[in-house]
Amino acid sequence: MESGTDPRLPTLLGITLRRSMVVGRMSLVIGGGMVVFYSALFGIAGPLFVSVGTVILPVFAVSGGIGGALVFTNDRTKGVLEYLVAYGISPRRILANALIAGIVQVTIILGVGLAAGLTAYLLSGNALTSTLPEILLGYTFPMSYLSVTLMTTIGVFWTSLSSPRSGLNSPLGVLPLIGVLPTTLLMIVAIALGAEASRVLLVGELVVFVLLASLLARTDRFMPTERLLSPA
Amino acid sequence: MLGGSSTALPSAPRDGPVSVSCRALHSGYAKTPVLRDISFTIDEPSVYVVLGPNGAGKTTLFRTIAGILRPTAGAVLIDGVPIDQQTSRDRLHYLSHMDGMPDGLTVRECLDFYARVERASTADVERVLDQLEIREFRDTFISKLSAGQRKRASIARVFLREREIYLLDEPTANLDPKVAREIRTLILNLSRNRIVLYSSHNLFEAREIGRHVIALKGGALTLFERMENVRAAHYVIGIRTLPLSPAPEGWERSGDYYLRELSGPGAVPGLIHELESQGVRLREVREMENPLEDLFT
Repeated sequence: MESGTDPRLPTLLGITLRRSMVVGRMSLVIGGGMVVFYSALFGIAGPLFVSVGTVILPVFAVSGGIGGALVFTNDRTKGVLEYLVAYGISPRRILANALIAGIVQVTIILGVGLAAGLTAYLLSGNALTSTLPEILLGYTFPMSYLSVTLMTTIGVFWTSLSSPRSGLNSPLGVLPLIGVLPTTLLMIVAIALGAEASRVLLVGELVVFVLLASLLARTDRFMPTERLLSPA
Repeated sequence: MLGGSSTALPSAPRDGPVSVSCRALHSGYAKTPVLRDISFTIDEPSVYVVLGPNGAGKTTLFRTIAGILRPTAGAVLIDGVPIDQQTSRDRLHYLSHMDGMPDGLTVRECLDFYARVERASTADVERVLDQLEIREFRDTFISKLSAGQRKRASIARVFLREREIYLLDEPTANLDPKVAREIRTLILNLSRNRIVLYSSHNLFEAREIGRHVIALKGGALTLFERMENVRAAHYVIGIRTLPLSPAPEGWERSGDYYLRELSGPGAVPGLIHELESQGVRLREVREMENPLEDLFT
């Protein structure tokens, strides 16, 4: 029963996205607020926005993208996943929806944050350079997406394999810490190494990608249908 | 009364009687086998009450028939087609013992959510809002509802679209007696031309709604029988007498009642005649045990 969803069934992506915004609104506001604040701060500081600000942004952006994992955990506890599986929605589809919800939230946070940062940067009399889009497209966006996808995947698998519980003792309680770990470590190492920073960031992205791909390849094992059921 | 209107469920295509077959079914969870060698076939539209003590495997049976749990051996077939085929899934409704109402949505939005899953229409959502009498709190968030309101909203989902088989796991749990009775009436109406598997811990409810009994114990099928053929191992009747009536001879006193074990319901008229000949003035005669209780021992 771990096979894919029948193509005639709805994807439920739209409503999952909407629910992730509602359920994860607090983390979205806090994460978004921090990204806007630091982005604007670095924008005013000028060149630091390009060299440091763009590397820091993923740390805060990821912490606001927990909505997909929240929806999954709530749905499991409330017995919603049990219905979806009974109607033929596959665990893979459920996971995909959670991952996309996290990515969309991070996109919103980064979009708003970068708009604020760039505005501050330009209003402070700084000129745009080719380095900025290179870093944004080469690190800020891909690393944010990789990190939020890794965080959501770990959250979904961990929730699936553990008994329902709440608070800091639950997977969700520590999930934001897991999410920001790769970006924070990379940021510290990159800043410490200075000249080798771009290479460190690239290698770091590759490591996260490989880790994520190896986890997703084991979806059926870490997310068996029976682990999506509500407590009997 | 719920469903008091004459609104009908949208029709599903139906060529003839559908059948549900469990063939040498073994099922359970990764480290815990639950069901053992369950075999039965249902092909008559009716309410089949699934009974058994806690841990007997009722929920596991429902989940396996619904295609949520994969059998470790044997098969579940809907009209001969394995349940893991989407065509089989499309023929049944499953209502778990959990509400299954998503967080962060109102009642109306929840029903819209399930209408999408069910491929039902907006008109169907409007219909069930009236049918289950939940229109008044359609804009209320699920988290703000009482347990009974949540259950009604949850059950409404089952009526969004007509299917041929209904698996209802304790549908009236947490409902007050009036609403529970109304839900049972809806389900009885449904079962006129549909197969309904219904689990309950309420034996009197089971007797009221069930036309067949499926009993489980320790994961094994112990009984599959028409309700009228289920007899108590010990048939006990109780009588209450009018004030100043002489006490009946040879009866055991228990509270307000005098108890006596009989061979079966057929022995009751003769016994009443005997009591009357003793001058005992009867106020009430009743069966003291529900024969379904024996299925729990």
